[in-house]
Amino acid sequence: MPVTDKSPLNKGYQPVTWNFKLLAHDTLSGFGGMGEGMSVQIAPDGRRIIWLAHESAPKNFTAVDVSDPRKPKVVCQTDLPHANVRSNSLETCGNMMAVAYQTSQKDLQPAGFELFDISSPENPKSIGFFDCSGPHSRGVHQLWFCDGEYVHCASGSRDFVPTNALDDQFYRCVDVRNPSKPVEVGRWWMPGTRQGDNVMPPSRHPIDKGFRAHNTNVYPQRPDRCYLAYIDGGMFVLDISDKANPKKISHWTNSPPYTGFMHTVVPLFDRGLMLVTDESTENNAKDWPKLIWVLDARDETNLVSIATCPLPDPAVYAEAGRFGAHNIHENVPLPTAWHSDQIVLGTFFNGGLRAYDIANPYQPKEIGIFMPPAPPGAPTGTIQMNDVFVDERGIVYTVDRHVGGLYILEMDF
Amino acid sequence: MLDLFPSREASPFGRKVKRERGARIPVTVVTGFLGAGKTTLIRRFLGSPEGAGTAVIVNEFGAVGIDDALLREAAEETVLLGNGCICCITRTDLQIALRRLVFDRERGTVPRFGRIVIETSGLADPAPILQTFSTDRALGGEFHIDVVLAVVDAVNGEAELDSAAEARKQVILADRLVIAKTDLATPAAVARLTERLQHLNPRAAIDIAVAGALDPNRIIEPSTGERSGFLAEAEHGDGVLSFVIAQEPPLEWPAFSRAMETLLALRGADLLRVKGLLNVAGCRGPVVVQYVQHLAHPPVELQTWPDADRTSRVVFITRNIAERDVRNLFAAVQALAKA
Repeated sequence: MPVTDKSPLNKGYQPVTWNFKLLAHDTLSGFGGMGEGMSVQIAPDGRRIIWLAHESAPKNFTAVDVSDPRKPKVVCQTDLPHANVRSNSLETCGNMMAVAYQTSQKDLQPAGFELFDISSPENPKSIGFFDCSGPHSRGVHQLWFCDGEYVHCASGSRDFVPTNALDDQFYRCVDVRNPSKPVEVGRWWMPGTRQGDNVMPPSRHPIDKGFRAHNTNVYPQRPDRCYLAYIDGGMFVLDISDKANPKKISHWTNSPPYTGFMHTVVPLFDRGLMLVTDESTENNAKDWPKLIWVLDARDETNLVSIATCPLPDPAVYAEAGRFGAHNIHENVPLPTAWHSDQIVLGTFFNGGLRAYDIANPYQPKEIGIFMPPAPPGAPTGTIQMNDVFVDERGIVYTVDRHVGGLYILEMDF
Repeated sequence: MLDLFPSREASPFGRKVKRERGARIPVTVVTGFLGAGKTTLIRRFLGSPEGAGTAVIVNEFGAVGIDDALLREAAEETVLLGNGCICCITRTDLQIALRRLVFDRERGTVPRFGRIVIETSGLADPAPILQTFSTDRALGGEFHIDVVLAVVDAVNGEAELDSAAEARKQVILADRLVIAKTDLATPAAVARLTERLQHLNPRAAIDIAVAGALDPNRIIEPSTGERSGFLAEAEHGDGVLSFVIAQEPPLEWPAFSRAMETLLALRGADLLRVKGLLNVAGCRGPVVVQYVQHLAHPPVELQTWPDADRTSRVVFITRNIAERDVRNLFAAVQALAKA
């Protein structure tokens, strides 16, 4: 792509706010490097609390009172035990919260997930821990917890020896109905990724990020399905009607020729559509294009890609940091989450937060952008927007990966 | 699309939008006769915080782009259309200019503007400009005219309205009227002009700009709310009429659209502007419809009604089409549809 004299590349990063209204910005007491866990709780005293996972140590999670979205207030911020663990993902369900712990190396503690009673948001109380540590495990990267009964997660395990060290995390379903004694009830991994499998290990991609689980979404509309993104392995629809024996229903991948790292699968049940996101993991758009894909999922055994959400010229955004798709609002099945099958909101690192109209799924149309000025101290000199959550009021929460913390917005379209 | 990929959230008219323009780029069209004070008004607007991020398109009727030069420093991007009147020979230029602005914005070669102001030449008929934005195939998918403003000179306005049909049409089709240069006219002259403007366009609010100073929001706020005080049939001269058709019970969309199709087919050229807020049976929000001559904008359903009034109301500005005939047409089609 030609870079012209008038390109923003020659003028530095250009903030854009289009069809969003910024209500508030909070750098979270100076710890604004945020991960991909965002969940809203209505506390017993009526306050609306958003719980946020941090991208890396030293902080574990932060709770922010957003009852008045124009005046957010940090009410709780906790620490991790050491620098080699991160709690990148969390979910709340009622007054219970599950937090994922992933270590930077194998065989470290704590690796797994912890359960908290958050009835008093200022004083979250640990009520359970599920240990996933092991000589080949880094613990849990991501979890899904919406029914108060089961945690679905991307996790390693003491008894799982991967064929490649990058393939250590797979799908696990854990019964937490007794929070003090979580019990694994089922698991599934991509054939070939565990030693002893009777198929060959998968061929590696040129940018090798691993054949392992990422998002593990399960919705009440189809409690017998898990929509599983598997990083370099593409995505799978699993039949989990028998939780002890998940079965593959279908598989879809874009790589090769794309560069892997499939991240999230969100079904739009009424419409027979599915949204699938990649994650950009390379700086300066080296893994371009990383996209949000729209799939015709009317036949779940034959998924057909029909469109992608358009992104701008990468030359404009390749200057610093990552640029490309990552998290989208996932229509989390909770009363505190907004649900839409017409609008997709996604974060694109230095491309900010973007909204798309998918009323016509063959032609997704960009309808909003929020790219704030680089927060002070941003190592890339740009925003690196990491995750987004929309509450049932339509208030949008989005977070920066490095320093910017929480941005609260109103949709204006 | 709804047949193939149905959605309980969508309206029959697509995604329900927060306001009429949805996510499209808002456009203000500033009309007004030669020397009325359009450029001064726009320049003051561009200097206000509300004017930030505005691209300006100037249509000059003359070889030297004076207005363009005056505005260039204040706007994010200024495009000068060629020598000619925007409503006739340069209408294609307007489309090209707008498309190029969007293209360049996506490439990052112009600043990321969020609004467009079009200054028409003094001689322009606004109707063809409105038509340019009416369909997706034209520019309606990217842009939406939020407000059409007519600037009238307090000193010379009356005489121009007497002598020039273009000036009258600009006033008749405007959403909002601005009287400029009141500091140079006597209070009596301003009062006379105000009365004349009210007669020509009873729907439009009238603002006074002193030395180009006007609340910047009056340049950009959509005028939907002002239309609630619709007046009865008005005769504007030149055979131009305006009237409102209102109905309390919810409308059946097929009956309304069939009636409009008939009107468009028979008398499209004489439908100067039609705009309405409809209470359509089966829709929670109001459905906004707009027609310019023989072209229909795609209807959109809003998420909420602006107020408690649920009456369907459609404003017609027509040439030699009587209110009675339109009422009879609607009544007949509705009766036939019910049967």
